[in-house]
Amino acid sequence: MRLALYVTCLVDLMRPSVGFAALRLLEGLGGEVIVPEGQTCCGQPAWSAGNRALASDLARKAIAELEGYDAVVIPSGSCTDQIRNVYPQLFADDSHWGPRARALAARTYELTSFLADVAKQDLASAMFDGSVTYHDSCKGLRGLSIKRQPRELLMQVRGLSLKEMPDCEECCGFGGAFAVKFGEVSTQIVDRKCDSILAAGADAVVGGDLGCLLNIEGRLRRRGDETTRVLHIAEVLAGGCD
Amino acid sequence: MAAVKHSQAMHFHARAGEKVRNAALQRTLQKAKPLFVAKRAKGLASLAEDGLDFELLRSTGKNIRNRTLADLDVWLELFEERATASGAEVLWARDGEEVSKLVVDIARRHGVTKVAKSKSMLSEEARLNEALSAAGIQPVETDLGEYIVQLAGEPPSHIIAPAVHKTIGEVEALFAKEHGRPLETRTSADIPEMAKEARAVLRQHFLSAEMGISGANFLIAETGSAALVTNEGNGRMVTTLPKVHVVITGIEKIVPTLEDFATLMRLLPRSATGQSISNYVSLLTGTKQPGDHDGPEKTIFILVDNGRANLLGSDYQDMLRCIRCGACMNHCPVYFSLGGHAYGWVYPGPMGSVLTPLYTGIENALDLPHASTGCNQCGSVCPVDIPLPTLMHRLREEQNERGLRPWSERLSLNVWAWIAGRPALYRWFARRAARYLNWLADGSGRIRIFGLVPEWTAGRDLPVASGKTFHELYAARKRD
Repeated sequence: MRLALYVTCLVDLMRPSVGFAALRLLEGLGGEVIVPEGQTCCGQPAWSAGNRALASDLARKAIAELEGYDAVVIPSGSCTDQIRNVYPQLFADDSHWGPRARALAARTYELTSFLADVAKQDLASAMFDGSVTYHDSCKGLRGLSIKRQPRELLMQVRGLSLKEMPDCEECCGFGGAFAVKFGEVSTQIVDRKCDSILAAGADAVVGGDLGCLLNIEGRLRRRGDETTRVLHIAEVLAGGCD
Repeated sequence: MAAVKHSQAMHFHARAGEKVRNAALQRTLQKAKPLFVAKRAKGLASLAEDGLDFELLRSTGKNIRNRTLADLDVWLELFEERATASGAEVLWARDGEEVSKLVVDIARRHGVTKVAKSKSMLSEEARLNEALSAAGIQPVETDLGEYIVQLAGEPPSHIIAPAVHKTIGEVEALFAKEHGRPLETRTSADIPEMAKEARAVLRQHFLSAEMGISGANFLIAETGSAALVTNEGNGRMVTTLPKVHVVITGIEKIVPTLEDFATLMRLLPRSATGQSISNYVSLLTGTKQPGDHDGPEKTIFILVDNGRANLLGSDYQDMLRCIRCGACMNHCPVYFSLGGHAYGWVYPGPMGSVLTPLYTGIENALDLPHASTGCNQCGSVCPVDIPLPTLMHRLREEQNERGLRPWSERLSLNVWAWIAGRPALYRWFARRAARYLNWLADGSGRIRIFGLVPEWTAGRDLPVASGKTFHELYAARKRD
């Protein structure tokens, strides 16, 4: 099986360790893992801004780059949602790109759903000393029905205990451009998320989308919380976060 | 469009800031939100206890609404025929101004000096209270929440809980002044007593008003009836005591049959307040007949377009399915950070972010379709499955198509997309950006003030990594 890892532009720029953790997890499955060279951005920022032309340009580029693999795995529910749910919409009436978009969508997986539902291998070597609470990101949860998978995987990690926070399905207030367009509102929302996280009393908050995690970490630190760790689930599962 | 001159939706951004900084409002909203959410959850649980499946019921509800909208003219004509046959009169209004004009005319014709109103969001669209007052007719809101906001001189901030933004202290101050009594210290334990006090005042109004005005949650075509879903009983007073009853509602509120109404009634109260059925459900048909104990001598329906017909056959037709339960705002992280007034027009929350631009002009509410994190908590609770984030997204696209986005945003998106289309160039920029961020962080792993994203760093740090991109580290690793 030839797997492609799509690291996402946010991981590329803001936290490369998430990309390497995802790479280790996929390589651990024993197959060939390729990081397609030309990958940049899936085009979601243009789509969210309502610019269909730019979103389609970047979608065509991504489709051409990613369609030659048995599966494409992405450590982000948000970017996966873009490819799985938005690309087919963008080219619904396009006889050339439509079938290609739909074929890619069917082979594209968010990391935890790939590990739990497709690969189904034990994470025997994963270790984490402490408790974590899991934040369900909106696109993963409501766009891709990812809920059970990250928890199943976390439960396999030796030494890890899972403490659910209240309102784990509530939005963190990131929303891409929303966080920079409506900063005060976004801060108000993430403040409530921080309260939920602290109520769980875990050593770390873990999630599957770096955007949400940067938002949460940024607010926790601004509030003066220097101890609650903020980790991407790939980092926890790959055991590389110490 | 007439409505636009009264809309404050263009000031959303500034108003949002004010609301976020209003500590009393924030406390009130944070207390209310979990109650709304818990009530709906309980309502859904009660469905399961009755052996009903929410998803199945919601797709049935959605189909009823879609089927009705597909032949809206047919059902409206049938309604007119049946309502007229039962002794009511049916009038049509193109917009809010026509509504006000019709109501004032009816009031004058019947020598009305006071109107008792039960809740009607459409009368807010029409700014009816203002028109009545200007004509020398006193409008009295009799829904408790509406009564409170009327005393405060404010519009409702929520479609089913109009005064949810008010603290108990604020309500006490309004009551003391209006009811001519000294101010007292109140806690939530005093709410029943305060409600009783309002009730005594309102009772006099019910008895003296010559005309009642209500909305309608549904119109039923086969019987020519208006269905009214309420909890306080004021709706019954308004629709039975005064000799004239005027029903004002949107043309999209119609359903073909009583059977359809029964299905939607399984969804509406549960989604709104978690009740399996509201305290009162009234089906109002025709006028008082010989032998009837009560009822109006004259019943007049005013069926209003005010932008609705434009949505038929458009990309936004799904929005007309809305049954006004409020679940979308009750589950919206943005609504509960601001309250309803920030949205600037009649309808707040996700449904307002779609309806306000559509009913008052896309160019007059540019922020609203963007006032969403895209979390889809609204769409997932909507009892008639309206894809609210998709509709907001379509409005964002239309802003682009019509050149309504700021040039700075268009330019930066175009430059960014041009670079993202060229991987080598993109890598070069990403490497530079990673170095720059790292330099700004100055070894601390975070940036505290960043002029490029001031709205981010006003409330949050920006965590950054070590100054190298994934792709450059990966390339180095492959070389080793």
